[in-house]
Amino acid sequence: MTDMLKNLCKKMFGRSLWVYHANSGGCNGCDIEVLNVLTPYYDAERFGIKLVGSPRHADVMLCQGPAMRSTAKALKRAYEAMPAPKLVFAIGSCACGGGLWHDSYPVIGPVEKILPVNYYIPGCPPRPEAIIYGVAVALGLVDKKTAPVQIKQMEYPIPLYHPDDLHTKDEMIVYEKIEKL
Amino acid sequence: MEQTLIQTILAVIANVCTVLLVAPFCQGLLRKVTAVIQSRQGPPIWQPYYDLLKLLGKDDIESGDSPVMQRFAAYLSLATVLTLACLVPMGFSAPMNGQGDVILLIYLLTLSGICTLLAGLSAGSTYSLVGISRQMMIMIALEPLFAVAIIIGAIHTRSFRLDTVLNGSVYANDGFPWSGLIMLCVMLLSFQAFVERVPFDIGEAETEIMEGPLMEYSGPKLALFKYASMVKLIIYSALFVAMFAPWGSGFTFPLGLLLFWVKVIGLVLLVTLVAATHARYRIDQAIRYFASLLLVALSALVLAGYGF
Amino acid sequence: MSVLSKLKEAIVCLKAGRVTLPYPAQPRPAPPKFRGRPIFNATKCIGCGGCASNCPAREILVLDICQEIRILKYLGRRCAYCGRCADVCPEKAITMSLEFENATNSIGDISQTLELFMSTCQRCGRCFKEKSPLEQLKMKGYRFDDLKNDRWIFKSQSYLGDEPVVADIKLDME
Repeated sequence: MTDMLKNLCKKMFGRSLWVYHANSGGCNGCDIEVLNVLTPYYDAERFGIKLVGSPRHADVMLCQGPAMRSTAKALKRAYEAMPAPKLVFAIGSCACGGGLWHDSYPVIGPVEKILPVNYYIPGCPPRPEAIIYGVAVALGLVDKKTAPVQIKQMEYPIPLYHPDDLHTKDEMIVYEKIEKL
Repeated sequence: MEQTLIQTILAVIANVCTVLLVAPFCQGLLRKVTAVIQSRQGPPIWQPYYDLLKLLGKDDIESGDSPVMQRFAAYLSLATVLTLACLVPMGFSAPMNGQGDVILLIYLLTLSGICTLLAGLSAGSTYSLVGISRQMMIMIALEPLFAVAIIIGAIHTRSFRLDTVLNGSVYANDGFPWSGLIMLCVMLLSFQAFVERVPFDIGEAETEIMEGPLMEYSGPKLALFKYASMVKLIIYSALFVAMFAPWGSGFTFPLGLLLFWVKVIGLVLLVTLVAATHARYRIDQAIRYFASLLLVALSALVLAGYGF
Repeated sequence: MSVLSKLKEAIVCLKAGRVTLPYPAQPRPAPPKFRGRPIFNATKCIGCGGCASNCPAREILVLDICQEIRILKYLGRRCAYCGRCADVCPEKAITMSLEFENATNSIGDISQTLELFMSTCQRCGRCFKEKSPLEQLKMKGYRFDDLKNDRWIFKSQSYLGDEPVVADIKLDME
């Protein structure tokens, strides 16, 4: 009986996510896009997402801005105050990889140097549709569309040796420049 | 008529189960209608059930100054409102009719407000202390309004029994019911504050402005508090309907019950409409508003004393 | 009366109906000049490295393995989608696509790696000094980035030694 209740509670986790918003030093561009997601046009409440004011009530922490020297401790404390099970989303290129300010003096780096991040939503700032797409990937509603790409230029455009100057001699291909008389 | 013990127990169980099952549905209806007024697609109507189940599955972190008081405040909040559910008539007469009277009702209503204060005290941080001081100010200004309504009913019917007072007794004097109509207007104007919705949810649910008294709660104890506030909406609506709009409660079994729930849902929709279109008041504006309402209510009490 | 004006506001919003876009159910394309993820076209790329030197976030790393092969690696972590790489590319091999749905649970998914063949002298097989600076940029020794640790190296002599050039900031957190 208690197992059934526990399974039910685990299944309900995806249907009502309570979100806590933590900006640790960003430019507020991604803040505005997150606020856009909560407006009627791109409604986030239809997925059951609610914005709460205290990390103890929240399931998901939305991190924006790179991890700065001054706010690193506060960010870590807010993460530890959240009750398990919890998720961390890094929104924007500053939180995913340090952003354009990655080698500046107060910036430690991306948020993953301080907290373990579960989902990345890159963009500068990401469109509200991109943020909703990231939430849908986290909830398992859609599949992710990115994969690493590796391309090799297989055709060598200019041959290294002219085919007339190559001839075979005892299983070896020898290059010998023949003087034209 | 006197109830036997079995009948009392069955009625108590029926009332408590009804209240527990219907309260999240009314909250869901409130959120959906708010969303429709704001031109968006809101959460599904069963969303508060999902919220409560999810909160039950989270980790329970005990923190703050005194964990014992934290646990005590959480259990007390839901226990108080469920005890209130036994004393409130919901289409039938109240289950524990002979065991309690109207004074007990007033005390239990005040106690359910005190649970939030205990919760904020157990957290001990500055934000929660400010939240509970504002909640205390509002409670001091607000509880007398309900008490005056009940006392006017008691004066008119000359008894403190639950089934006589909670049966439209404010209108029960001999001539034109002046005090009853004045109290109806006062209660309609201050109803939002009793159920802690938007223009007046200053102390408790103020998670947008500060974290408030519920700051240190997580998981199952937070579920208890949220459940208690959902149930309070139903209890106050049922009390309002029983005292001020009792017409049709004399009908036979299915029709009377149905009419009661239709009236309660209508009141919840009215609360939603006001909550979706208003902004939150500051504490000094709210206290000034309640002070003027209290003056009007006391004049209604004086009129009732003279028989009007 | 303020109550009447609030009721009017509620009626106006109700008349607007439901404005929510059914986004994940129906796709919503970006406007035509939108700068989404950059796509690197290996058939057009000549391996000049202009994008790597112009990127403000230093997200494109270049490494010459030998005289003929140059690896160009775009890590998407810090990319701000500014479009400078596409502006500077002489062969228009980089296009800023309209894709914005880049969310993922491991940040290495966004990287693109190109292995390119750089041409050498037909007679001797070595690189020769070209007349124009653009041709000179193709010579070995122009950029050495650390592809194993995904970091760029800005001091020209740093490839000889082993020290990390961009050091991590150490911070104590109790």
